[in-house]
Amino acid sequence: MKVLAAVKRANRPGPPEHSVRLRVLVTGAGATGILACRAEGELTTAMAVFSLALLATGMVFSHRTRLHPVPAVKPLLAAAALVAFGWFFVELRGEAFSDISGVEGLLAGLFVWIQVTHSFDVPARRDLAFSLAGATGLMAVAGAQATDMTFGLYVVTWGAWCIAALFAMWRSAGGGAPVGRGAGATVGAVLSVGLVAFLLLPAPQVGGNIGVPASLGAAVGVTNPGGLAGDGPHPGEPARPGTPSGRTRVGGFLGFADHLDTAVRGDAGDTLVMRVRAQRPGYWVGETFDTWDGANWLARKTVPEPIVSGSPFLLPAPQGAAVGGGEDLQTFYVVAPNPNLVFHADTARELWFPASTIFVQPDGTILSPVALGRGTVYTVESATATPSPDQLRAASGVDLGLDAAQRQEVLQLPHPYPRVQALAQAVTASAPTTYDKVQALIAWIASHTRYSTDIPPLPPGADTVDQFLFTERVGFCEQISTSLAVMLRSIGIPAREAVGYVPGPYNPLTDLYDVQARDAHAWVQVWFPTYGWQSFDPTASVPLANPSPGSAVLRDTGHVLGALGVGPIAAGLVGVGAAVAGVRALRRRPRGFAHRAARNMERAGRRAGRARREDETLREYASRLDAAGPGGAPGDWTWVAQEVEREAYGALALTDGDRRRVLRLSATLRVPRAQRTRV
Amino acid sequence: MRPVRPLVPVAMTLFVLVGWAIVAHNGGSGWVQFLGEAVGAALLVGLLGPALSLARTRVDVVWAPPDAVAGAPIELRVRAGRRVRLRAEEPAGPDAFVGPARLPGAPERWTVSRPRHGLLETVVVHVQSAAPFGLLWWSKRVELPLPVTVHVAPRAGAPVAAASVPDDGTGEGRARTPAVVGEPRGARPYRPGDSRRWVHWPATAHSGSLMVRDMEAPVRAPVTVTVQLPPDPDAAERVAEQAMGTVAALVGRGVAVTLVTDEAGGPVVGGVDDRRRAGRRLARAVSATGAAGLPGVRVEQARLP
Repeated sequence: MKVLAAVKRANRPGPPEHSVRLRVLVTGAGATGILACRAEGELTTAMAVFSLALLATGMVFSHRTRLHPVPAVKPLLAAAALVAFGWFFVELRGEAFSDISGVEGLLAGLFVWIQVTHSFDVPARRDLAFSLAGATGLMAVAGAQATDMTFGLYVVTWGAWCIAALFAMWRSAGGGAPVGRGAGATVGAVLSVGLVAFLLLPAPQVGGNIGVPASLGAAVGVTNPGGLAGDGPHPGEPARPGTPSGRTRVGGFLGFADHLDTAVRGDAGDTLVMRVRAQRPGYWVGETFDTWDGANWLARKTVPEPIVSGSPFLLPAPQGAAVGGGEDLQTFYVVAPNPNLVFHADTARELWFPASTIFVQPDGTILSPVALGRGTVYTVESATATPSPDQLRAASGVDLGLDAAQRQEVLQLPHPYPRVQALAQAVTASAPTTYDKVQALIAWIASHTRYSTDIPPLPPGADTVDQFLFTERVGFCEQISTSLAVMLRSIGIPAREAVGYVPGPYNPLTDLYDVQARDAHAWVQVWFPTYGWQSFDPTASVPLANPSPGSAVLRDTGHVLGALGVGPIAAGLVGVGAAVAGVRALRRRPRGFAHRAARNMERAGRRAGRARREDETLREYASRLDAAGPGGAPGDWTWVAQEVEREAYGALALTDGDRRRVLRLSATLRVPRAQRTRV
Repeated sequence: MRPVRPLVPVAMTLFVLVGWAIVAHNGGSGWVQFLGEAVGAALLVGLLGPALSLARTRVDVVWAPPDAVAGAPIELRVRAGRRVRLRAEEPAGPDAFVGPARLPGAPERWTVSRPRHGLLETVVVHVQSAAPFGLLWWSKRVELPLPVTVHVAPRAGAPVAAASVPDDGTGEGRARTPAVVGEPRGARPYRPGDSRRWVHWPATAHSGSLMVRDMEAPVRAPVTVTVQLPPDPDAAERVAEQAMGTVAALVGRGVAVTLVTDEAGGPVVGGVDDRRRAGRRLARAVSATGAAGLPGVRVEQARLP
């Protein structure tokens, strides 16, 4: 019975809320939530407009009936809620739980419906608080789908509505308490606490418990299923390698094709290619090359294995790969047209892709049946079994585990590289294991070469590796990684070239890596018995660290300030100073009638050279001004002072007419100028 | 300082934050986590802000009436640095919001009421605030000293009739206005109850109507009202009310009254010539421990000279 009584007490209707301001602010927050859901594609335009209209109507209805609620409303709203839940579950029945994107649209519809129907029954302040919480829920539903910064506009708008509504709530609860000067401090406190939480809390994880996103955007079927399709003007056509005349493409790298021409000097640019939500940064491989001809890497010509199971696709383990360890989920949101390569971190185990068939190469390259256009979303689960250096060192003495044909493939060289071999042997002379040899060569490259994308074209007939190691010693990832691969092969260590993307800038707000075209990269994979192909990046001398939101913000702030320069920063500081001065001046502005009348009196006295003394009460000051001579009728200033005191301390407030008379008189009265004494 | 009924707001906040943290952290959406951090910050400020606000809020009673009546409103003027709610504990009173007024520092009115007589030197009040968002009320109990002691006099009850005094042999059996003895300052018309000894015959002859001597200030109180309060507060209040009614009636008739009461420092005997003084005396009156005689109000009229 106690519980029942508590429930009854909790459900007892609160006193009616009369504040129109609070109601408008809550409506604004709800409308922002609906618009955010629309912007993220979870509501149709018609549904959004209908919801906004109903929300406004409901709030007006609630306000008008707040004193005498219509008894029929509650049962009607309960029935509407039941209908909404029924619709939700009926619709849900047809959705696969592995594809959460379909469910989120339904969820948004359900939330909006509940929000809208609830708006017809919000007579009390507590109900409005629930409505505000509902608006927050809508923002969360929209935020779950947001992958770019435009959602920030909705967040800022929603935040402004909410803060203003909360202030209005206290104003209403506090008997009309003015927000006053504490508002700025409160907003500052909220921002500070939020910033601290933002900096300290770990970034969210990519979770696979509920379901993983996968959807098809502007995808075009490829003409040659299982083959590599490009990202050019005819996306379905087979991919073509880059040429010196057509140096760049959206989608970046010229090497996402059947072969990689290291003679081409490309400028990938900063076009945003995709956004990636990943549990950890990594090298997201697209394809690998194993045949080197002195200037080009060629992909192995094999027939890909189709997998027709549908999502989730269980991927076969690449040769020699260790597939154990924890999960590493990555969700790729394609922003610009991409080839039909399914990028992933090694070693991929499962794939959620919005197609019934995918194709897998023996080297682990995954090909989709469609060229990936804007809006395509897919998720990959990879294994995290990264062997330690000691494990790799221990694997050096073991048999390679490759047959003769395979050994020939992974040690293939187009011609003898005597100088390269001598250099590699000299550098690795003191390295006892394969792992140490790789590290020694990377260290040598790091200390003897320089990174630059601005290098001269490869002379006709020249070998890329010879040119880089013995002539230029300047290059970018293709030259650097190719040189390492050839050096390794020259001393009998299996190696191959891998291309893909490295994580671009990390956005702590969206928790996504913004992968740009220039993040396309080439690196080396080295074969280790037991562990398979392991990636080494000679271009990067230090491994990537997992960024925290705080460090990312500080780093980006530093970059922004550095890019701005002294002038704009100084202008900004002056602007902030002017804004602060303006706010302070506004605060000093007299607010009430008594203040204004007193200010008029002081101003008139000051102009006449009779400023008010600090130890002088207003009445004394008025007497002094009256005594100075006639500025109007005798005793006018004293009358003004009396009226001010009546207003401030008297039992009865002045009428509006009295106030107007006092203000008019105090503004028009003059004081005789004080005589200056000549010495 | 403590929160007022914090269970529901705190539980709701924890529920929202924990739920949000689980969904945001495992959902993998940066925006959801960001929104959660914003909501958490607002809730944290909303829950703890009132405590900070209260800690920095000073409340003063800047004016109090010197006298009041038990059971009647006592209007105080209060000044608070921020908008706060005052919930009176002792004496009782309705909740009131006070804060910065039309002019900074100008006091706001607050009404309390004390059901019994006594001296009011402090007001015990719960100063409460839910600023800045109204999510959770915090309260601190403070004793506000009053700028002046408020004498809360008992309400006037039914007066006790003065004991009838035997006539002085003139044959008049009714009670008379007690004599006032002092230096004569003139003559005045006769009023019922005046002693005939004070009839001024020459003036009567001169004016044609009965005139009596008009004396200067009394030199002693002819009527003595002795108040002895019982230990029980309710009974004591009733006795005090009766005493107040009695003295008020006597004073209203122009009778000089000597009031005998017990105060915290011991018995006090003194004349009262108006209701205010009588009220102040009775406000200080307490029940004397071990006092002889029955509690109540006794009125003794002195024999006229």
